[in-house]
Amino acid sequence: MLDWLMGISILLPFVAAILCLFIKNHGVRGFIVTLTGLTLAISSIMLLNYGPFSYTPESLLGFDVGMLITIADFLLLFVILYIAFKLKNVLIGILTLLQIIPMGYFEFFMAKHVEVTPAFYVDHLSLIMNFIISVVGSLICIFAIKYMEEHEEHLHLKKTRQPRFFFFLVLFLGAMNGLVFANNILWLYFFWEVTTLCSFMLIGHDQTEIAIKNATRALWMNMLGGVAFVSAIIILFMNAETLSLQDIVQKNVPLAALLIPLALLCFAGFTKSAQVPFQSWLLGAMVAPTPVSALLHSSTMVKAGVYLIVRLAPAFQGTLLSTLVAIFGAFTFLTTSALAISQSNGKRILAYSTIANLGLIITSAGINTPAAITAAILLIIFHAISKGLLFLCVGTIEHGIGSRDIEDMRGLYDRMPVTTIITIIGIITMLLPPFGVLLSKWMAIEAASRMPLVLFMLALGSALTVVFWARWAGILLSSPFKKEGKPEKQSAIIRVPLMILAAGAIIVSLTVTTLYSSLVVPVIQLYYQTGSYSVVNGTIVNNMGAFSLYPIFAVLAVAFILALAASKRVDQKAVCTPYMCGEHHPEYGVSKFRAPMDKWEDFTASNYYLTAVFGEDKLTKWVNIAAVVILIILFGVVLL
Amino acid sequence: MNTGTLLIIIATIILAPIIGGLLAGIDRKVTAWLQGRFGPPIVQPFYDVMKLFGKTRMVVNTWQVFCAYIYLFSAILSLILLVIKSDLLLILFVMSIGAVFLVMGALAAQSPYSQIGSQRELLQMLAYEPLIILVFVGIYLVTGSFKVNSILNYGKPLLLSLPLLFIVLTLVLTIKLRKSPFDISTSHHAHQEIVKGILTEYAGPYLAIVEVAHWYEIILILGIVALFWATNWIGAAILLVLTYFFELIIDNVMARMTWRWMLKYVMTVGLILSVVNIIWLYLM
Amino acid sequence: MGMKAALINSSRLKSPWLVHFDCGSCNGCDIEILACLTPVYDVERFGILNVGNPKHADILIVSGTVNHRNKRVLKNVYDQMPDPKVVVAIGVCGCTGGIFRDCYNVLGGVDKVIPVDVYVPGCPPKPEAIIEGVVLALKKLEEKGKKVDEGIVNNLNELKNLRENKNENTL
Repeated sequence: MLDWLMGISILLPFVAAILCLFIKNHGVRGFIVTLTGLTLAISSIMLLNYGPFSYTPESLLGFDVGMLITIADFLLLFVILYIAFKLKNVLIGILTLLQIIPMGYFEFFMAKHVEVTPAFYVDHLSLIMNFIISVVGSLICIFAIKYMEEHEEHLHLKKTRQPRFFFFLVLFLGAMNGLVFANNILWLYFFWEVTTLCSFMLIGHDQTEIAIKNATRALWMNMLGGVAFVSAIIILFMNAETLSLQDIVQKNVPLAALLIPLALLCFAGFTKSAQVPFQSWLLGAMVAPTPVSALLHSSTMVKAGVYLIVRLAPAFQGTLLSTLVAIFGAFTFLTTSALAISQSNGKRILAYSTIANLGLIITSAGINTPAAITAAILLIIFHAISKGLLFLCVGTIEHGIGSRDIEDMRGLYDRMPVTTIITIIGIITMLLPPFGVLLSKWMAIEAASRMPLVLFMLALGSALTVVFWARWAGILLSSPFKKEGKPEKQSAIIRVPLMILAAGAIIVSLTVTTLYSSLVVPVIQLYYQTGSYSVVNGTIVNNMGAFSLYPIFAVLAVAFILALAASKRVDQKAVCTPYMCGEHHPEYGVSKFRAPMDKWEDFTASNYYLTAVFGEDKLTKWVNIAAVVILIILFGVVLL
Repeated sequence: MNTGTLLIIIATIILAPIIGGLLAGIDRKVTAWLQGRFGPPIVQPFYDVMKLFGKTRMVVNTWQVFCAYIYLFSAILSLILLVIKSDLLLILFVMSIGAVFLVMGALAAQSPYSQIGSQRELLQMLAYEPLIILVFVGIYLVTGSFKVNSILNYGKPLLLSLPLLFIVLTLVLTIKLRKSPFDISTSHHAHQEIVKGILTEYAGPYLAIVEVAHWYEIILILGIVALFWATNWIGAAILLVLTYFFELIIDNVMARMTWRWMLKYVMTVGLILSVVNIIWLYLM
Repeated sequence: MGMKAALINSSRLKSPWLVHFDCGSCNGCDIEILACLTPVYDVERFGILNVGNPKHADILIVSGTVNHRNKRVLKNVYDQMPDPKVVVAIGVCGCTGGIFRDCYNVLGGVDKVIPVDVYVPGCPPKPEAIIEGVVLALKKLEEKGKKVDEGIVNNLNELKNLRENKNENTL
């Protein structure tokens, strides 16, 4: 049974991807994607039910799995080398060679015939990640079926490129599943590099000049992480003679031997999760079609980086490395939240917010107390759902109005009421209590209270996030009152994933106590041996603080109903024009005022972007320099 | 939840706006005295709110109504959380629900005053939120927990260990009370700033709801101020009276400043004072 | 219901918020109006506040003559006040057009555009006269308030009927 489920999670997407590449019929391809998605989702639920396990596959199609992966790994690296050659990019070429040569030496001379058992170690953290990848990922893939049709229509493409798109998108799901299950660090590295390749291919999907440029940047930054990864593997094997993650995490190995590999692995995680100073690849990746941004660059691929760091956190608990990782994460959180305020491009705001939340997860992993790790895991879950939802909404809105700029989304409630409400649900679940993202942020701030520098940065960053979310939610509603607004036309394949994700965001927040006790507590118990929070009367409590989850939900539900009823009671007679010192157009709904010479001038408004303070051109350079300094300090502490 | 707690909650919901209104009335009376005139009776705010309830409904966008109600309910909820001795950080985040919805409601109205008022309100939130988190962190460092219970069990007045953070709290209080120099998005009483800023398009009963929600918020912040002398009632009362009177004097002495000045001043002075106080706590 | 209506009615008298609109005045009347807010006259002790926004106001006090340009603005401001509302015309310019009534651009007094409830003549009227005018307007406000409570709302014709019965309220 287990081997079937494992095969479905990792191999089925590979097979489905190849089918998608070669099948010409669009409907059949859509059917395959949907079927794969549903199967993955069901399999992840069954795995969740099953509980933690270890698994080592003996053979696949008659070959030893380890050998297959090694061959595939080198094949992959040579493919990337070839890409570097085609792009005439020396940097990527060098970075790839820096991986091929050491790996070659390692595989053939140093670590011949090393057996790592178990090859797959699946605890609750892996199960949670698998669930998110399978469910949220599948919903996004299903959304992509219809979205890519419209996308190619907008671009007036003569020959469809969807086979290639879905090949990489579905392949990616399999690679991510393999990544979160892997215990053998070489296998993890293989899946890691597959996701890098998928990301490169998908960012450059539209084959425009800027897409290729940004894809190249993503590739070299991720390759830099790859070099760090390879170095970590070699040093780890030299110092500790093990390639098993569990050996590292369960502290079967002395800490001194581990610090350098751990720091290098954290660095690889930083590049994968686009932390400063590597944030430019994620921002550049926003030129890709929206399902790519939703799947890779908010819910799953970037989560691979933080997953690795959270997975390794028990190993470096209590060390100076941990403190520096926390400071680094908090610094990212603060600076990217500040940079987000100056953005008006919807996808860039979401990208900066993603990087900020990843920084928050890394901070929590760095603080490394049970409460902080709870915060990290919960934030992974909630952020994946809400951010994936928001990216899909922005994609839908972009197809609806032709723009991603939030200024053009003013008064969207008029034209696309259903999408607007779903977007506002997404924003509210990212920002306000009692929903999950804020719960995790609350936990993180309370856990950080013993690290004042981290705390200052978290407090400032948290206040900055309110600014750019609240104003976006507000201007979506900024339209004249219309009693008979009809919901906009939207294909079911687009609307259903949106609705499911929106409902999911709310329901998962509601059931967080169950989620916590059944999924998160086992992880904490396994690695930290002490508990973090207890749930008493619907309140999440520990000796430092209490979060009255269910009472707040109850009161807010009542408030929501009453507020909705009150707003429905407002009829047409109560509506009047805004105040513009008497010069407003007398007719309601016409947004003009009387300018000199009796001309009717349109009313326009805009947000404060504060580019003089938070502008990218002002801040990015200093932020990058400061981040590099922190990284140098981090490596210095570890090496010396 | 036992009946004692339930009674306290009901008493809070009923008494807080009454005390808040009386406080607003006393505010106007003392301000008038400072300005050499008589001023309205102390119960004037209640007349104002009742009169507003008697006006016909008028909105620019129905979302304003929805957001005004959510603002009211989250103000009530955060005050209840304070009274049942819950977690300070949670109280702040629940309070911010209301603030965010107030901004959303004002942004929903297509009016220049409303829009500019909301942007300024967001900048005000940017100014006070980090500071109030730092005040709560100072309290945690002294009492060992974020829960209000631990302050009450601490046994010594917090003001003695957290004097600079108390000054920071008065900065937050000035912004929340919408008094000069920080009454930038909208001002209290009837002072006009970009007409009425964020409240320009609220009228009639909805303006009354926003006003009542504001009273709940004031009682909440003053409750946090009172926590700085939680050891006995008389000390807390004296602290409150002195702090409020100090706020009135600052309001009457200072002029309204710009949002740029507010961000610069509050961020530097507030952060420096917080850092110094927290360092003291570490070293002591 | 009875007690709530009585409470609201007495509150209307105790909390009249006014918005001041200067139509085309020479500012003589405006200075006198502003003088009412100073500590010498201190109308705030009656609960009167000068709000800048017609949406928040009960009383609209208008000074100055009405011309073709500002009649549109005056109408717009009046329409944005929620009921119950009263209008007080200050100064002879506001009442009838004053000494400017024969000018080519002047339409006349405020009642050419909106229904006026109280006329306070004078050039300029003294602050005491203005205060007395506002207090008289409050009585009108109470009647209109009762009509609003009974549900006869937002109907300009009804309020026009009320205006017909006001002819003797000049000082």
